[in-house]
Parts: sequence; C-alpha cells; structure tokens
Amino acid sequence: MEYVIELKNIDKEFKVLNRHEGLKGSFQDLFSRDYKVIKAVNNVSMKIKPGEIVGYLGPNGAGKSTTIKIMTGVLQPTRGEILVNGQIPYKNRTSNAQNIGVVFGQRSQLWWSLPLIESFKLLKDIYGISDKDYKEMLALYESLVDIKELYSKPIRQMSLGQRTLSDILAAFLHNPPIVFLDEPTIGLDVSMKAKIRNLIKALNKEKNTTVILTTHDMGDVDALCERIVIIDKGTMLYDNDINHLKSFFGAYRTLKIKIDKHAEELSQDIRDKEKEQIENLLKEGFEAADFTVGQDEDFYSILIDESQVHLMKVLQYLQEKIKIYDVLLEEISTESVIRKIYEDAENLKKKE
Amino acid sequence: MRVRAWLALIRAAIMEFLQFRVSALVMLLGNIIYLIVIYNLWKAIYASVDGGVVNGMSFNDTMIYLVLASAQFTFMEAYLVWEMGRAVQSGKIVLDLLKPIPYEQYLLFGMEGGNIAAFVVTFIPTFIIVQIITKGAIPMGINLVYYLIAATLGMLINFTIDFMVGTICLYTQSIWGINIMKEVVVLFMSGATVPLAFFPETLKKIVMFFPFHSIYNTPLMFLTNSSLTTKDSLLMILEQLLWVIGLFIIGKIFWKISERTITVNGG
Repeated sequence: MEYVIELKNIDKEFKVLNRHEGLKGSFQDLFSRDYKVIKAVNNVSMKIKPGEIVGYLGPNGAGKSTTIKIMTGVLQPTRGEILVNGQIPYKNRTSNAQNIGVVFGQRSQLWWSLPLIESFKLLKDIYGISDKDYKEMLALYESLVDIKELYSKPIRQMSLGQRTLSDILAAFLHNPPIVFLDEPTIGLDVSMKAKIRNLIKALNKEKNTTVILTTHDMGDVDALCERIVIIDKGTMLYDNDINHLKSFFGAYRTLKIKIDKHAEELSQDIRDKEKEQIENLLKEGFEAADFTVGQDEDFYSILIDESQVHLMKVLQYLQEKIKIYDVLLEEISTESVIRKIYEDAENLKKKE
Repeated sequence: MRVRAWLALIRAAIMEFLQFRVSALVMLLGNIIYLIVIYNLWKAIYASVDGGVVNGMSFNDTMIYLVLASAQFTFMEAYLVWEMGRAVQSGKIVLDLLKPIPYEQYLLFGMEGGNIAAFVVTFIPTFIIVQIITKGAIPMGINLVYYLIAATLGMLINFTIDFMVGTICLYTQSIWGINIMKEVVVLFMSGATVPLAFFPETLKKIVMFFPFHSIYNTPLMFLTNSSLTTKDSLLMILEQLLWVIGLFIIGKIFWKISERTITVNGG
C-alpha cells in the first residue's frame, strides 16, 4: 500500500437552521424550516504516505476537525472518495477504529476516575493487544517519558499536561498505523509542549506511525512536521513540505522599527495611530508594493516582499520621514508565512 | 475475540461505580426516604378499606413488591439516556464511536457493569432485609433462578428502550424533556411505582401490549407471586425474550439510520 490515507475531492456540507434573533425569533425557530447549507469542507484532496507527520493547519473554523472526523469515519462526506488503510472509514468505522488512534485536544478517552494503568489495561483488552506487545509498548513508553509515577494516579487528579501525555500514549498503545492528534498541545506550558513534541517524534520514528496533527502552535509545526497542509473556509490553500513553504515565501523579510523611546508608556490609541501613519507613509512612498504592518511589543513590524521593493530602500525612506530609535531585521518565521497565507486568502475573497 | 472487550467494559464500569462510594450511599439514603413515603402512603390507602386486601394484595404483599421494585430500580436504571445525551452535547461521543466495538455494545456492557455492582451493593442487602423482616415471605426455590433470568432480560429491554430514546437525542440535541417523559412512562407502565394488580382492567390490558411491564413487573412476579406454574413462568420469560430480540433489532436499525445523519458538536 503506497498511501495510508487518500482523499479525493472530498466535500462535506452541513444543514444549519437559520436562527432568528431575540425571544420572538427563538419561538419562530421552533417551527422554522429555513435551512442553509454550510460547506465545511470543499473539494479537499490529499495523499499521505506511511510514516509521515503532516501538520494540518488553518484558522479556527477552517474545517480541520471536520476533515479529521471524516478520516476517522465519524462523519460521512457529502461527496468524494476516501480510503484510510485501504478501507472506507465511514462504512467500516468499527474495524477502522482498530487501525487508528485519536487524541482530541480537550477531551480524554481515558476512564476519568480510574488510575492510568487501569485505563491502559482496559484498552489492552478492548483493542485485543497481546501481552507481549503490551509489555513492549509500556517499556518503550517508560524509556521515553517518566510515565511510571503516573500509573497509579486517577485521570481526574492529573494536570492538563499529564492528561494530554497519557492520552497520547493511550492513542499509540495498540500500535495503530495512523494517529490523529487534534490540537494536542493546546493550553500546555512550554516544557510540557517540548516533552509532548519529543514524544510524538520518538513514537513516529520508533513505530513508523503516520501522524496527522492539527495545531495553532507553529512551534509544533517547526518541531514535528516535514509536510504541511493548510486549509481555510473548507478549501485547501497549500500542501507541500515545510522547506518549500519557506523558500516559496523566501522573498519576504520583516523589518522592525521602534519610533518611540518609551513605547510602553503610550496608550493603544496613539500606537494604533502611529501604525496607521506608517502604513500611509509606505503607501505614499511605494505605490506598487504591498506591506503588512503589525505591532510587536515596542516595535512596529513591516513585512516586505523583496521582489517588489528592497528592504534597505524602505528603511532609508522611513528614516527620512520619521525618527527611528531602533531597527531589527528578521527572516520570516513559519508563523508569519502562514499568517500571510491566511490573509492572502482573505483578501482574495474580498476582491471577489 | 469480542468477549475480552466486553469483559473489560464491564470491569471498567464496576470499578468506576465503586470509586463513587459516597454517591452509592446517597442513592441508598434516597431510596430509604422514598420507601418511608410510600410506606405511609399505602398505609393510608389500606386504612380506608375493609378486610385489608386490595385487588388480591395485602398491605404486606404491596410493601414487599414496592420495596423490591425500588431496589430493582437502583440497579436497573442506568441513566443511559443522560449518558448518551451528554456524550452528544459535549462531543465525547466521537471518542466512544472510535472504539473498535459497535456503539450499542460499548454502551450495553458499560451499563451492565454498573448494574452488576449496584445489584450486589443495593439489591442483595434489600432482599435479605425484607426476608428477615417478613420472616421469609419471599419464596426461595427455583423462582430465584427465574428471577435472575427475568431481571437480566428486563434489564436488556430497559437498555433497548433507553438506547432508542437516547438515539432521539442525536436529532434533538437535548435530553431533559425526553428523558423525563420516558422515565414517567416506563416507571408507571412497568409497574415500578404502582403494582399492576391495582390497575383498572382496561388499562391492565393495554399495558400488557407494551414491553414495559416485562422490565419490572415480570421479574418481581417471581419473587412475590408463589402460585406461578412452570408453564406460566416459561411463558413470561419467552415473552421477555421476544421483546428483547424485537426491540434490539428495531433499536439497531433506528441507530444505523440516525448514525448517518449525526453531526458531532464542537469542531
């Protein structure tokens, strides 16, 4: 089998009641037949090879979770073909479940009041894991993270980080070819994030597990993913490896300038005005070029497309117009590239 | 083999039940208060009749029936509709659906474990206490075997009804009203709140056409009615069995159809 997951022109539509406002509207809704169709996923196709870690990105409500639910078989696509492990997931959900593992960010699949090791033993029986495989897996876990001390702790007494860690281990326990991680690092502190990233990476390497990861944390992407897929409003915007992404947008660099000595003392209103002033100056000076101006602590960041205008030129120009106290240059980060992609898609929509 | 998974689910539910000792205690306490209330209620009813026998049941018979019915309620009622409704609302159902076991089996064996634990913790003590207080009013013999079979089948009928009502939650996304309605209908028509013997003839006939009486009344008959013949007993159990099979098939079909239309919350 060349691909573990194959999606071909997948659409998913939801029928949603048009809600009316207010008390009167709520009563109207009781009898309303006024539905609208929302396209959560629009013509998405992708092929994923065994052992890949794919970052599945997109702003909130972009359709990521819906796609994951289609791939796990919980939702049936409205149109299109899908194969996961050579099976159609929504038709064979139960047998497909044997071959996948899932972690949904804020929810736990573990038994709330039972100690962790009991949950593992229950999963062992539910997934029919042999004693030998089970022991090997636990040994592997113990070599990767300090899990032993958590074994006797009930899930409800765990911190969010410990619970996420446990849930990820539970998802890998039956050694499935594919694991779906839906925002696994949400709400975690920096060291826990690092721990979880290392764990995912190690398990992927050790067991050659395909990992589909949705996240809003670019740190996750930089640490784990070789390939990223970006989706917004149900439509795929990008599907390629991460290096390609950076070189694709390599012409971009960020210029950061500080124009107030004590920026932290200024009110947000004034700072917004200053930002606007910079935007206007740039518009006057370089009519042909597009800039994205943002505020980054004491600095204003200007994203410059160097194929349109050279960064030094912008700096020179600005220096003549305003007093600059400090300057920083930055290569573009994954985060800003992705923000750029989101914004471009947004602008494209507006123009249409 | 599925059996291993089934046993695991039963084990998990028993362990979870036992984790909540306080809740089991409160349940027992609530049950005692309920019993005090119905004791006084029925005492008043019997005080107003001559001869002390109503519809062939003495005050003692009625009390034994109702005490056992409430004890049976504590182990049979698994609040499955709540559980399904909550799973739908919170979106947890996604995780349940992604277990390598069909959803109805996942629910059934999860519920079963709680039932078994509650049976041991509440029903058996109640049974012994009733037997001691009444100096052996409950017949002890083959009828106990019948009772266990009938109670198991009653539980399965209760499960299939709950499962169907819970499936409706997929459409309505709310549970409160539906569950209250189900509870009232089931408890009344099954003879859990008032013995069926007290029902007017026509109502009794109507009730017999529904599966509900097989949940509470049929098992309890084996404990309270000592005049049942073997043929009667087997016929009652056969009726239960047919209900189980019929309802299970309907429930499964209803679920299969509903499953396709589900939209899972959150995401």
